[in-house]
Amino acid sequence: MEKVTDYKYALDESSIVAITDQKGIINYVNDNFCNISKYTADELIGQDHRIINSGHHSKEFIKDLWTTIANGKVWKGELKNKAKDGTIYWVDTTIVPFLNASNKPYQYVAIRSDITDRKKGEEELKKTLKEISDYKYALDESAIVAITDQKGIITHVNDNFCKISKYAAEELIGRDHRLINSGYHPKKFIKELWTTIANGKVWKGELKNKAKDGSTYWVATTIVPFLNQAGKPYQYVAIRSDITERKEGEEQIKANNAKAIEHAHILELKNTQLIDFCNIVSHNLRAPLINVSMLVDYVEQSEDEKERMEVLAKIKPVVNHLMDVFNELVESIQVKQDTEIKADKIILKDCIEKILKGFETQIKEYEADILLDLNQASIIYFPQKYIESILSNLISNALKYRSPKRKPTITIKTKKGDNNSIILSVADNGLGIDLELHKDQIFKIRKTFHKHPDAKGFGLFMTKTQVEAMNGKIWAKSQPQKGSTFFIEFKNQNI
Amino acid sequence: MNQIKTLTLIDDDDIFVFLTKKVIEQTNLVNLIKVFGNGLDAINFLKKNKYNTDSLPEIILLDLSMPIMNGWQFLEEYAKLNPSIGKKITIYICSSSISHDDITRAKSINEVSDYIIKPITKNRLIEVIKKL
Repeated sequence: MEKVTDYKYALDESSIVAITDQKGIINYVNDNFCNISKYTADELIGQDHRIINSGHHSKEFIKDLWTTIANGKVWKGELKNKAKDGTIYWVDTTIVPFLNASNKPYQYVAIRSDITDRKKGEEELKKTLKEISDYKYALDESAIVAITDQKGIITHVNDNFCKISKYAAEELIGRDHRLINSGYHPKKFIKELWTTIANGKVWKGELKNKAKDGSTYWVATTIVPFLNQAGKPYQYVAIRSDITERKEGEEQIKANNAKAIEHAHILELKNTQLIDFCNIVSHNLRAPLINVSMLVDYVEQSEDEKERMEVLAKIKPVVNHLMDVFNELVESIQVKQDTEIKADKIILKDCIEKILKGFETQIKEYEADILLDLNQASIIYFPQKYIESILSNLISNALKYRSPKRKPTITIKTKKGDNNSIILSVADNGLGIDLELHKDQIFKIRKTFHKHPDAKGFGLFMTKTQVEAMNGKIWAKSQPQKGSTFFIEFKNQNI
Repeated sequence: MNQIKTLTLIDDDDIFVFLTKKVIEQTNLVNLIKVFGNGLDAINFLKKNKYNTDSLPEIILLDLSMPIMNGWQFLEEYAKLNPSIGKKITIYICSSSISHDDITRAKSINEVSDYIIKPITKNRLIEVIKKL
């Protein structure tokens, strides 16, 4: 008997205990019951147990409870009850029916423990879960979403992802994310992306991807790494939005701008050429014409027959000179109009040897040394007649403006430049040009820098015209008394 | 009529020099005509004789398009030299260029008195000398 009392004591201490009769009228409550329900024992005893009913549970639930215990079986479950002040509390409940001799319950002992905190936590969790699933829904509706593991293997894609990439979800899941790589972005860019997210940082940027049918699309992308407890990413969530239209617009504008700039450049070039022509006409054609007219005037007014003959004799050379200038002018106009001329495959060694043959006498006479270094590039693509003219001109200049103090040495060299270009240089040890003094004039028409009887000033102008007609570039380095080096950059050589 | 001692022609065109010399001689207004074939030879002469006022010219007729040192480059060098020259030298550009750019550029240079488009006539020459 004492043992039973001990059990009862232990129960009263640990649990919320109430006893009702078979109709549910409370006839015993312990202190714990009073504490949680905020009623006194006097207020409870004699009352229907429904006094603490919160109304939370469905009628079926309550009916099931009563059927169970009325049949003499133990009922276990979680109940939400209402305290005197209207606050609610959750209790884990076990109801044990006490049976009389005829096996009918004559009272019910309800043993409860307070699980309000746990229940509240569960409810919070449910709410949060609901919120999360709402967010997920919103995200799935609005954005293109994919999840990959830390190695970039796709583990989840949403409908928007499938729609834009034109793949079915089954074709994507389990595959490497590189499946949609367009190859547009440089390796460095992609490496930076991976470094960022592998370090647990969010990456934002614009990516060009490739759909199943090979078409490409642009997406503004945010990649969020999900970190494990060690702070290492275990998966990446990529949220994207389609910006293809904007990007294509931008690219169109860029292309248009580039075209406009190119046109402006060509126009500028044409304008410069026009000014050049204006100068040629003004300086180079008008001058000999004036000479002719002055000579004729003089002959007309002179009365001295000897003087007349002297002056008359001067007319012919001027007319010849005028003819030369005129012919050169016509030749250079033809180069300018020849923009559609096609490139030939030039084996430089053969080409140079052919040109050197033309200078054989001079080379022998001046004891000139010609050195070739064509190992880096032995073939160029350029119109045959231009390259011959260019090389002839440069070699002719190098021989013409040799230094009287030393034997001429001419070095012709090729090397590879940037963007598929080849740079050819012709270096001499001759008189040199004072570039400080002559600045941008060396390639202008009729500019001569030496008192040389053959210096006509047309060669470098023609050379530049021919180089530029093929989009090339020409420049020079020179030091007076040391020599000059002319460089020509040939574009689009596809080496 | 006022005679001047020296007139300098800076021009590489032999025909022009030959004829202009003849025209100047006919005016009887100039004692000595000095000719330089390019700007460098002329500027070197002026540098050497900047204190020797007797050998400096009163008038220079300067061509623009010349080898080695053209008229513009000569004028740049001359502008540096001018303050140390002990004589007033009047410079006329005398060029075959009818380019508007050349004419405007010439007029913007202080040292240049005027721009004469070739050919230069006898009357214009007399005018230039008398104006001095």
